[in-house]
This record gives sequence, structure tokens and C-alpha cells, in this order.
Amino acid sequence: MSHTIGWWDRVRIERLVWTLDQRLYDLPTRSRVAIRREVRANLLEAAADVGTTEALRRVGGSGQLAQRYLVAQLGEGPRHSWVAAFWFGSLTPFVLNFVFGEAADAYRQGVLAVDPHADGTFVWPGVSYLQTPTTFTFADGYATQLTGTWTVLTYLLWIGGTIVVGRLWRLLTSRIRRPDSVTHTV
Amino acid sequence: MTSSHDPQLLKGVLSLLLLHLLAERESYGYEVVRRLQEAGFADVLEGSVYPALARLEREERIATRLVPSPSGPARKYYRLTPAGWHALRAGSTAWARHTSSVDAVLARPLPTAPEEGS
Repeated sequence: MSHTIGWWDRVRIERLVWTLDQRLYDLPTRSRVAIRREVRANLLEAAADVGTTEALRRVGGSGQLAQRYLVAQLGEGPRHSWVAAFWFGSLTPFVLNFVFGEAADAYRQGVLAVDPHADGTFVWPGVSYLQTPTTFTFADGYATQLTGTWTVLTYLLWIGGTIVVGRLWRLLTSRIRRPDSVTHTV
Repeated sequence: MTSSHDPQLLKGVLSLLLLHLLAERESYGYEVVRRLQEAGFADVLEGSVYPALARLEREERIATRLVPSPSGPARKYYRLTPAGWHALRAGSTAWARHTSSVDAVLARPLPTAPEEGS
């Protein structure tokens, strides 16, 4: 042990540990925590031994290291991605609801463009196949609306899209895959 | 022996080397790297060894335990499981077979090599 580890060295090590962690979200939480602890402990010891710069160099970038851990934990070949599935699954409702809302608002403004003091009930059928009808009730140009909901097809597209984007069907094949040889590549 | 090794060859036998080192004695990650370097594999980097240990653990060829360290965070020590011993024996036999086959080919006499520039 010939190098003193200062606060800046710890910052550099923590930076690698946490950027590595960010790239391992497809692993179970327990595995990620274990990897974080082990990489941190080994890096601290290596930094004390050969210096922080050399220790970080020998570990390689967080991207390369994460890729190797993912291969080690999940096996070779194509894999699923919980991260991609999460982003698609969580962002799609926001995007769809924004688009549907803007379309409904365009309909409302269209009615008011024809008659700024419109009265009565208007039904907009919504985006074909994706939405149930939206009902607008106008009173002297002021509108209230009963917004349409998603159709079954929209829900199916949302769920199906999440599976496709996250390649979640690979979860089934990865459970079947088993190691075969000790001289496997890493 | 500090000369560099063919990375592709190393990738193929790294697991076998790790199993053998851990069969000799229980070690933690950075200690394994140092032992590899002392054995002449100076170009084996930590970035390859730690994921390889993780894979052997997933395959249940090695088991782990945490041991408090006097100089920092707890160390994760690796040791061979019965499956690891079995894999080590099988891997060693396969490696001996490969090397003897390669040696047999390389030991054959060659015709005189053409001179440079001719």
C-alpha cells in the first residue's frame, strides 16, 4: 500500500461505481448492490496499491465493465431490457394522453370558430380505434367535456409495445439457457 | 514472465485460471488479480476478472462470503464449490488435451523457410 487515498480519489471511484450502477438496471437490485460494494472495495484497495488513475484504467470504462457484468449475469446473446420497457411503458401514456388531449382541444376550438357562443352537446368520435367518443357540452361558448377513454386496442398496443421495446420475451429463453463449459468466454 | 498474452486465448482460459487459483486458496477480487499478475498474467485487467468471477458465482462454481477488512469496506471472498472442483478437473483435462494436440502439430519439422526479400 503506497498511495494515500484522498477525498478526490474517493469522488473519482464513486463516480465510476455509480455510473456503472446506472448501466446495470437490467439486473436485480440485490445483484446491483453486491456489484457496487465489490467494485468499490476492490477499487479502493487497488487505488491504495497502484494509484487511483491506474486502478480506474485497469477496470476500464463503466460502459465496458457494465457490459461484461451483464454478459456474466445474463449470458451471451440478445437480452431483454427492463430499462427500455420501463421508459416505453411509462412515457407512452403521457404521449398518448397529450395527443388525444390536443386533438380534443382542436375539435373544441373548431366548434368555437364556427360559433363563439355555441350552446349544446357535441360528440367527437375521437381518434379512430384508439379512443372512445368525447362529449362536449357548450354553454355560451364555455365548454365542459367528458373525455373519451382508451379502447381495448390502445391498451393492447401499449402492453405489446412495452414487450417489444423491452424484448421481454427473451426472459423466457434466458431462463432456459444454461452454462456448458468452463472455458467459456467472458 | 511479463510478456503480453493473446487476449483471445486468455479469454478462453480465464475461468480455468480463476478456478485453479481459488482452489489453491480462498481469495477476494483484487487479490485474485494480483495473484494472476504474479503468475505472469500482467495484462489481465480487473475489468475482465471481476465479471468472470460474477459469472462463476452465477454458475454456482464458486461461493462467496463477506469478511471485514481492516483497511476499508468488507471484502467478498470466493471459494470453490463441489461443482467448481468438478469444472476445474474437467477443464484441466480438456486443456491438457488441447495443448498436447497443439504441441504435436507444432513439433512437426518444417521445410526450410524462404529467406526474407527473396
